[in-house]
Amino acid sequence: MRGNPWIFAGRLWLGLAYAFMFLPLVVLVLFSFQKNRFPGFPLQGWTLQWYDKLFSDGTLLNALGNTMIVSPAAATIATAIAFFAAYAFNRFAFRGKTAFLALVTLPILIPPLILGVGFLGLLARIHLSGTLFAVFLTHVVLITAPALAIIQLRLSQMPVSLEEAAWDLGATEWQTVKKVVLPFALPGIFGAWLLAFTFSFDEFIIAWFVSGFQPTLPVAIYSVLVAAIDPSLNAIGTIVFGISCLVLIGLELVLLPLLLGKSENQS
Amino acid sequence: MSSIDEAPPSRRMRTPNDSPLKVWFLAPLGLWLILLFLLPLLFLLWIGFWRVENFQAIPDFSLSNYTDIFASFFSKSRYGLAMIQSLWVAITTAFFATILSYMVALSIAFAVPARWQRLALLLAIAPFWSSYVLRLYAWQTILSRNGVINSIMRLVGLSDYRIDIIYTQIATRIGLIHYLAPILIVILYVSILAIDRVLIEAARELGCTRWQAFTRVVLPLSRFGLMTAGSFAVIVSLGDALSGNLLGGGAGTSIIGKLPTYASMIMSDYSSSTNLPRTSALATILIAVMVLALAVGFVLADRARRRIG
Repeated sequence: MRGNPWIFAGRLWLGLAYAFMFLPLVVLVLFSFQKNRFPGFPLQGWTLQWYDKLFSDGTLLNALGNTMIVSPAAATIATAIAFFAAYAFNRFAFRGKTAFLALVTLPILIPPLILGVGFLGLLARIHLSGTLFAVFLTHVVLITAPALAIIQLRLSQMPVSLEEAAWDLGATEWQTVKKVVLPFALPGIFGAWLLAFTFSFDEFIIAWFVSGFQPTLPVAIYSVLVAAIDPSLNAIGTIVFGISCLVLIGLELVLLPLLLGKSENQS
Repeated sequence: MSSIDEAPPSRRMRTPNDSPLKVWFLAPLGLWLILLFLLPLLFLLWIGFWRVENFQAIPDFSLSNYTDIFASFFSKSRYGLAMIQSLWVAITTAFFATILSYMVALSIAFAVPARWQRLALLLAIAPFWSSYVLRLYAWQTILSRNGVINSIMRLVGLSDYRIDIIYTQIATRIGLIHYLAPILIVILYVSILAIDRVLIEAARELGCTRWQAFTRVVLPLSRFGLMTAGSFAVIVSLGDALSGNLLGGGAGTSIIGKLPTYASMIMSDYSSSTNLPRTSALATILIAVMVLALAVGFVLADRARRRIG
């Protein structure tokens, strides 16, 4: 195995891929602390002035605030809807199940651009467009499908006998869901919430169409970006990257073990 | 056991499949999807037939939006050319993104010791969790004329070899590939993981070289994953306007010409005119083209499968 050229080539390629994937992040963080007005070399010395500008200006922070209201709310509702539906899909057989599942997956297959135009048409008609509430309503549609997939993955690992035992011992169905199924699904629910949160946090085009004067963070960044180059973007980027790192750690602990099928109850 | 069986339950379900929870648990999802997914989509199709008077959209059933769009499809407004540009960019992006990601997934699965694979995968998908708009901004500063790469080249005395790809569709593709790679790597890695290692070992023991074991065992068995990843990449690239706007500069150059992608065009068309009926008609055309493209891809894949099988 040592000195095998294929293994070597594979590792070399992996190194290149990592360099490509992380280059933008490194640039973002590096130039958020540099005096350069336009990112480039040579470096002109360390500074915190872009963070100052970011905090004194407030537009982007305001948008970050909007996002931090919408995304957790949307992720929570979507995860709740997804949990109940995942339980029903997992346990019951009924006519039209496949069609229903296909309908659930459709929102991630249709480009958000098209959905954005459709949402705007409907929401403008009922005078809801241009509000954060509109962003919340539409994001829930978008992020329920991935949440559902994750929770279903977890529930499919649950032995059927677990529920039957609870029923036999006299628990009502609702009690069983609350005290047996819910605790078992908890890692899946947590992973689903994080994934849903990420999708909502990063979603641009639908929010661009429906958010109006209450922009979410990606929309606000975009409007700064098309106007001029502003190094405060590096600063907000570094902050967002910090938030993502927290989400990632949560994910590493929960989602990957689920996806790769190495859950704790198998060992 | 028997004592429990005899205990008279207040309201026993006859089978596990017979329960009021079935309806109650599916209702929220069903309602949400009908009201906030199917309804907007139907609305989109319908609004395409409205007309605009005095900047006001008026419910109607007129074909004027579509006749307007198709009248100048390849000439003045160039929607048709933008669509061709979009298809060209999307298909080439998907091709490269899938192959490059497949090589990464293979490297993780076969060149990394088993206990490090999870970390390797996590590292590869980590950038997905930073904001897409911000990553595009970072790419803008990297690729621009006086950006990171060109300033480094100047520093080391290579100023004659400037890279000049910002505001071309090559830059658009770089942004899209950077966005797609983490998702594709996960899809492809999971599909490689599902391959039974015994098959590979058997092939090797029967005298296959590593390359033969790859082309005759691993590659055919990851065909489904490759197809999934490829079509996903096409769909995402067709619908994405951000990379085309920020890295492609709106109307980026490609071998087809200096044209925006169709998605960019929908976005700029709406922000300049706020003519929702026409935007809806444009979006409807995009849906039609995508369904068509997927159908063609499906038929081709099916034919290929029959030829091999």
